[in-house]
Amino acid sequence: MHRALAASLGLGLGLMASVAIAETKNPGTFVFLWSDDIESFDPAYIADTPSSYGVLNVYSRLLNFKGSEISEFVPSLSTEVPTLDNGLIVENEDGSVSYTFPIRQDVHFHKVGIKGADGAISWKFYDELSEDERSSIQPGYGELTAEDVRYSLLRAMLMGKSWMANAITEMVTASKYPTIADWAQDVGGVDDIAKASPESLREVYDALASQIVVEGDRVTLTIPSSFPATLGIMALPFGASIVDQEWTSSVGGWDGSGDTWMTYYRPELSADPLFDQENGTGPFSLEEWDKTERRITLKRFEGFWDKPASLERVVIRSVPEWTTRRLQLLSGDADFVAAPVEFLDELAKTEGVKVVDGLPKVFPRGLFYFWPLDAVDNPAIGSGQLDGRGIPPDFFADIDVRKGFNYSQDYQVLLEQVLLGKTVQAHGPMVRGIMGYRKDSPVYSWDPEKATEHFKKAFNGKLWDVGFELTAYVRDGETQGVAALTVLQQGLQRVNPKFRLKIQSLPSSQLSALRNNREMPAAPLMYMGWGPDYSDPGGPLGAASYYLSPTGLVGGFSGQGYRDLMAEKFKPLLDEAWALNDPAEREPIYAKLQEMSFDYASTQFLWEDFAYIVVRDNIDGYVHNMITYGAWDFYPITKADN
Amino acid sequence: MMTYALRRLLMLPVVLFALSLMIFALQMSLSPTQRLAAYAPSDDYLKGGQESIRLMIEEYGLNDPFLEQYGRWIGNILQGNLGWSETARQPVAAALASLFPATMELVVLAFFPGLLLAIWLGSRAGIHHNRWPDHLIRLFTILGWSFPTYVFGLLMLLVFYSTLDWFPPGRLSQWAVTEVTSVGFTRYTGANTIDALLNGNLAVFWDAMRHLIAPVITLTYVNIASITRVMRTSMLETLRQDYVRTARAKGMPRRVVELHHARRNALLPVATIAGMELAYMMGGLVITETIFDYAGLGQFAAKSASSLDFPAVLGFGLYFAVVLVVLNLLVDLIYPLLDPRVKTR
Repeated sequence: MHRALAASLGLGLGLMASVAIAETKNPGTFVFLWSDDIESFDPAYIADTPSSYGVLNVYSRLLNFKGSEISEFVPSLSTEVPTLDNGLIVENEDGSVSYTFPIRQDVHFHKVGIKGADGAISWKFYDELSEDERSSIQPGYGELTAEDVRYSLLRAMLMGKSWMANAITEMVTASKYPTIADWAQDVGGVDDIAKASPESLREVYDALASQIVVEGDRVTLTIPSSFPATLGIMALPFGASIVDQEWTSSVGGWDGSGDTWMTYYRPELSADPLFDQENGTGPFSLEEWDKTERRITLKRFEGFWDKPASLERVVIRSVPEWTTRRLQLLSGDADFVAAPVEFLDELAKTEGVKVVDGLPKVFPRGLFYFWPLDAVDNPAIGSGQLDGRGIPPDFFADIDVRKGFNYSQDYQVLLEQVLLGKTVQAHGPMVRGIMGYRKDSPVYSWDPEKATEHFKKAFNGKLWDVGFELTAYVRDGETQGVAALTVLQQGLQRVNPKFRLKIQSLPSSQLSALRNNREMPAAPLMYMGWGPDYSDPGGPLGAASYYLSPTGLVGGFSGQGYRDLMAEKFKPLLDEAWALNDPAEREPIYAKLQEMSFDYASTQFLWEDFAYIVVRDNIDGYVHNMITYGAWDFYPITKADN
Repeated sequence: MMTYALRRLLMLPVVLFALSLMIFALQMSLSPTQRLAAYAPSDDYLKGGQESIRLMIEEYGLNDPFLEQYGRWIGNILQGNLGWSETARQPVAAALASLFPATMELVVLAFFPGLLLAIWLGSRAGIHHNRWPDHLIRLFTILGWSFPTYVFGLLMLLVFYSTLDWFPPGRLSQWAVTEVTSVGFTRYTGANTIDALLNGNLAVFWDAMRHLIAPVITLTYVNIASITRVMRTSMLETLRQDYVRTARAKGMPRRVVELHHARRNALLPVATIAGMELAYMMGGLVITETIFDYAGLGQFAAKSASSLDFPAVLGFGLYFAVVLVVLNLLVDLIYPLLDPRVKTR
């Protein structure tokens, strides 16, 4: 009796489990589980990758990246991609360059304005309109016009909130002004934009507006001199996504006037009317954002200017616990889950689950050197002297110290045992796919003899005799970073037992405090990674500028010594490359810069970061574009019924 | 009794003020840049450079003197504004208000039936001291006590979700979410079970219950262990009292003596510990909510703390202080009902 009961129970459990796995749950709905959050749906506000997932899908841009390509584009709201050949890029006699975008006609936003009998405009979902109502749409209210494009770009720049949108300002001013605040302060002769007079603010607006001109259904953007990354910036979701002027104004956003823009400058998130509502032309509209449940629901836009998406709905949920996400994937309640790398091989063998692995990212990981360091009350440098119990504040100013560190790292061990052979060693700031990357450029390897040679030269031999002790930092939860520092720690010990590296994990905010917004950094060595936002290595958001410019992102926090080195050795070449139009002329310069980053051991470049996705096996259509960091464009995604 | 209650209530603002000062002082020990992380939780803002960081510090007044910042914060609170939570992407007050029903739904279903069960089990164990019901109950409670919530919760998920597909995580299935967010469904309370019943939608009600069962069982099992043990010990002590022996000697039925005379007095320590348990649960059940993907106050508090979301941490701290003080007051008010001698002291 007992045996029969047990057998029945076992059979029942087995059947239920198999039923749970076999059936397709939520057909037509793509359930996307991650541990991130979207900050805002305003394209002029956002600057981080998770937030781009929302904007990318509810808004459209003038151009899109061509599939996985990072330097090729396809038309979107612009019916053509500007080129010199088709005459839409014109090099003017004064050195300025004009880009003309012919704007697509008969494109509707998700909500359109209907004029009532009393003359008042009410906004309704385009998909829910009757034929009669469609004929009552007020022209321009929810219908894409060239003016909307002009308004969107101006709004992104004038809002000044997102450093990604600020890249448009830098582009339009050909790098003269990184932000609208710099421009206004310069024109107004003040040190704070808040002190700028209404006249100078108007002057800035007029100058800016004169560079974006509407002629019929065409928008022409003129920039003072060549800016090679222009089309790349126009294809990014940040800032370059097109909003409807009339709707934005009707919900409390900027009215488009040159006299009022300062009122909308750098708003608080809660004061931004486009924070949690949208009216884009993208393939999905925002149906619901339940902030309590951390759930965003996107609904297919049937009135999309191209063929409607295959998915009816996309549900994006934040589920912090990995085990819960995993069980939901296995049971079919989730179609995609963000998964830790160490589970990939196991998931790949799981029935019903598909793993797409080894996707490239334009993102080198490295150990960053800082000098000179803050000597006051800084436990990371111990005694602050070269006495074996600490390091002097200018420790990494010595090139032999940096080279000694670079030769003390075992890159192969990291690639094979930590990254499981899924990626390659980083050669410098420019990774595969970025101009200047060459497969045969020199890289460091574990070489205790060379490490010894350089360490013996450092500080006239004193370092070798007395040794050192310093603390390296890594962000909480960065297991690969801890592994990289641990392997380095062991390497240094093997080179010289007097070399002691301590490793400390800290939350992101505390790392920022050790690195940013201070006269001198406090951290001598830190595990990090930064990636560019377009394929060109130059310009404000390019890979070479980020790492090798004295005013770049890395230069900004790595200490004055690092900045001086960059200013003296790297900046002349960076400027030279950026001034050239011909990619064939520019490429060797960036390749040279890449080699110089090796010669000067400016950073310990470890590996190229990589991406992967874990989905149910009935999911297809994912397009990985490494310049958008693998952000999910849900438009091509399909979910088959089993 | 009324005076006593009023006196305790009047202490509430004093306690809250002291607590707010302490929490605020703690967060002020961090540098403005560290506190800035609360407003820009992603490292991406660093790409804006030093100028962007300086602007943001100025914008949020993070360099102002302590009293100025505290005054600004407390002034806002007095106007009902607890600040903006970057974690919740909404005002702190709105976040607390929207998460409270979810946590309460879980707490009510797990705590009160659990409390009754624990009292019953504790009484049985005490009455049948050193006999097999006592041994079984002790084994049951020791297991519950020694089982980490995390492990028990995962076991529940593996068996009842992954294998049987009976009790899924989350608060509702996807189809029910669509139903609940549709125009025809009115959110009266924010508690899915109650709202479903008020809307007459039994399908959504059952779906909400399916999602509640596993976390409720987990919570109940883990939490009743301590109450059961206290009840058992208290029952044992009470059964040894003279008045119990006298009642038995007078010929009162054993059952009446045990249940009406002994158990009522044995409940006093249980009221204390149950009040603390309830306060703890109402403060959010971080592990249970995280494992079962149940969006409640616990998840919110944990995420706010790890993201240095100071307005949320401060707001949650105040909420928890109110819960503690109010529940302490309630427990104090319950004592005289259980033991009339307390009233006369």
